[in-house]
Amino acid sequence: MEPKQVENNGMNGRLPAMAPLANPYVPFQLENPPKYEARKGLVRGTLYPGLDLPFMGMINQHELPVTHKSELQALGFAIQELALYLDTHRDDREALELYRQYQNLYQKGAAEYEKMHGPLTHGAPGQGECYEWLNDPWPWEYAANKEA
Amino acid sequence: MFIYNKKLQYPVKIDKPNPKLAKIILTQYGGPDGELGASLRYLSQRYSMPFDDLKGLLTDIGTEELGHLEMIGAIVHQLTRNLTEQEMRDPAFAPYFVDHTASVYPASAAGTPWSATTMQVKGDPMTDLVEDMAAEQKARTTYDNILRISDDPDVNDVIKFLREREVVHFQRFGEAVQLLREKLNEKNVYYMNPAVDL
Repeated sequence: MEPKQVENNGMNGRLPAMAPLANPYVPFQLENPPKYEARKGLVRGTLYPGLDLPFMGMINQHELPVTHKSELQALGFAIQELALYLDTHRDDREALELYRQYQNLYQKGAAEYEKMHGPLTHGAPGQGECYEWLNDPWPWEYAANKEA
Repeated sequence: MFIYNKKLQYPVKIDKPNPKLAKIILTQYGGPDGELGASLRYLSQRYSMPFDDLKGLLTDIGTEELGHLEMIGAIVHQLTRNLTEQEMRDPAFAPYFVDHTASVYPASAAGTPWSATTMQVKGDPMTDLVEDMAAEQKARTTYDNILRISDDPDVNDVIKFLREREVVHFQRFGEAVQLLREKLNEKNVYYMNPAVDL
């Protein structure tokens, strides 16, 4: 039997109407919820305004610098966020479509980035004469994050 | 298998070294509610999870936590670069410095090395998912407390991002409990352990 669903207004969530006792309930995020675009999503830490719940009004509002790396981080973030959403909403076709669009953009962005800055993974096709994998800076270093 | 991707999930650019603050942030590397425990918890719970959607969720959140571990390591690393002699001698940092120099060691803010006793892999899907919801809340509170203590804008920028990820993960684990419930006996969700009895 399909559980009857009620919407709680404006919070983009849904609780089962008949809920067994002694078990935790978190409202299910409704399908096709409002979304930020990828760059804003990365800055805020979520793609979903309904889940954007900052501490004491401390909100990241800066614009990311426009670089190959920050573009790739934004696209990668959108993919990750949509993947977690799809893990619990596997039948949302619109989310699946958006996830695939971001995947396409990510692949193109990664190829651009790798041409300029070297491989992101050992699976990336190599270029030039030398073994670029080892080149500094590594991601945790200040120098790798200076412009992004 | 895992493949290294040579970039951070979110940029970490700390202009001003501050080893005292590094010791506080370190707790999210190897403390009781940190990212190492988070990733090991979820990635270890996968093996006894009998349902494909929940295997996927544990894999994807566990993998993201490894990325967060790297970001916390990056904050600690950048906060401890170019140490002055005075910073090494600072009573708040000297005990860490003498054992680990300017390296990143998985320990809590109080210096207790990381321990698997801070997490559980119980092998019952409901129990494990409720543990995971609690873990996300504990990490969120730790990030709240860091935001109270730290006045470094570069550090707080990253901490706000990581804190928000805990909120999103909590939502997904909460939804996972609902997905699990739909697979269990609707009159008694504790009728059996689906990891053993299905």
